[in-house]
Amino acid sequence: MTPRTHTWSWRGTVAVAPAVLAVLFVICAGLGGTLLQSVGLMPLVGAPRLSFAGYLHAGDELLTATGLSLLIASASTLVAALVGLTSALVLVGSRSGKVLSGLVTASIPVPHLVGAASVGLLLADTGLVARWLGVPAQAWPSLVAGRWPTAVIFEYAWKESAFVALVVSVTLAMRLPDYHETAAVLGAGPWARLRHVSLPLAAPSLLAASAVAFVYTLGSYEVAWLLGAVYPEPLPVMSYRLFTSTDLTARPEAMAVAVTTAALSGAAALAALALLRRLAAWR
Amino acid sequence: MTPAVRAGRAVLRVFLVTWFLLPLVPLVLWAATETWTGATPLPQKWGAQGFTDAFADGGALAFLRSLALGCVVALLATPAGTVAARALTLRTVPRPRFVSALLIAPVVLPVFAVVMGLDVVLLRLHVPGELGIVLVLAVASLPYTTYLMRLAYSAYDFAFEDEARTLGASRRAVLWRVRLPLLAPGLAAAAFLAFLVGWSDYIVTLLIGGGRFVTLPVLVASAASGTGNEPTVAALSITALVPPFLALAAVGVLRRSLARPMSRLTARPTPGNAFHRALPTRGAAA
Repeated sequence: MTPRTHTWSWRGTVAVAPAVLAVLFVICAGLGGTLLQSVGLMPLVGAPRLSFAGYLHAGDELLTATGLSLLIASASTLVAALVGLTSALVLVGSRSGKVLSGLVTASIPVPHLVGAASVGLLLADTGLVARWLGVPAQAWPSLVAGRWPTAVIFEYAWKESAFVALVVSVTLAMRLPDYHETAAVLGAGPWARLRHVSLPLAAPSLLAASAVAFVYTLGSYEVAWLLGAVYPEPLPVMSYRLFTSTDLTARPEAMAVAVTTAALSGAAALAALALLRRLAAWR
Repeated sequence: MTPAVRAGRAVLRVFLVTWFLLPLVPLVLWAATETWTGATPLPQKWGAQGFTDAFADGGALAFLRSLALGCVVALLATPAGTVAARALTLRTVPRPRFVSALLIAPVVLPVFAVVMGLDVVLLRLHVPGELGIVLVLAVASLPYTTYLMRLAYSAYDFAFEDEARTLGASRRAVLWRVRLPLLAPGLAAAAFLAFLVGWSDYIVTLLIGGGRFVTLPVLVASAASGTGNEPTVAALSITALVPPFLALAAVGVLRRSLARPMSRLTARPTPGNAFHRALPTRGAAA
């Protein structure tokens, strides 16, 4: 199935044009607008003037929000990677995994907002778990809107673990059976096969899926807004609160928080890419 | 396999099934609840009050709006991603690495950060809110449609198209009777993911629509942020799960029904490479 190898043509250029132009417009105008507003060059009222007041004003709060965002994204990605990888290994290792594979697939199209609403009904002080365990509301730990973003992390970990499981199991299903047979013939036991065959085969797709999950969690708004505490708040929630503030001077601050989030996401993506390259080189 | 290993596997399986199932259980119970007070394990009175309230809150209209949004996003992002993937596979694009990276980039960027800046630009260009929402969500789905269609094209044999052309098929006939049927499983998956992006969106609708464009997620959010209306939240949420689950089932059926004839087709000797290299019309047919 070798594709024809042409050099570039007008047909090809025209074919990619709608997609490329739409992405270019949204990214350039969007990120450009955010960046310019964050330094006062595109004010809603008054003359444009370069100023870093937005960043300075956000100051300490921006640091707290950054820390919380990184905590939520790292913790949920870590759990998602562990559970997702385990699910993928169970799914590929046995032929009778119909129920599990059905559940993994069904979790993928659940909107995060719906997931958050349901997790709220599950973990709140009057939630399902509290009712089932017979714990009165006053004695229940505040998993929702408490000091630690437990429910937020749980929701992301659950949804992203399904994503990781799907991506990794697809990769493994394509390549694992042959390798496993060879390894078994050569006398490798189950542990040796896991350590020397399954895990190295799963590593690149596991890393890629985890990176996508991490970056998504970092920039996602609704779950932390619904299940998180009023303070401290992660970056997207802080940014949206400032954006919708009636105080127009809060605009540059909102944009400064947005720029920080975009920079963190970009840095995380580049780091993941570099890691993937090293994995590829090592293999 | 020793009994200990077997028991360990069974425990692991139960944990994983619980992990994926438990988070959605409250929706099922609360959606069928009329009254549920105190720490009883099940509701005192069952009923469909949640759905009645959801309908009264404008659930039907919001449902249709979300459905339209999902479909429009899929209708834009699937063809755009498909023709881009084809051009990238055929390498007829200038700077293919840059184009590939650009089309994947929306996955990496936090959508709220982009939309906050875009909002002012759209306002100054007098772009209607609905159009802005559709544009951003189509861009957000392009990485998925492009990626899936590149996967589909990497398993696609272009020789079938040449074969049909040499047998006298018109361009249109090649498109409808060769290319689209062979790509159908990939197209279905790509359209499904693009639909999901439109169907599930909350923050883009909120930021650009300013709360005036009321979709189903907007209703779910406003109900879920209140208290004491658990049946309504659950009813709205269950309603928001129906189209994605139906679409998922449809994609599965389509892929399975296509997989059989396709495997017969690809198992047959394909229009051979040697034969085709000898064919002088090959470049001209493209």
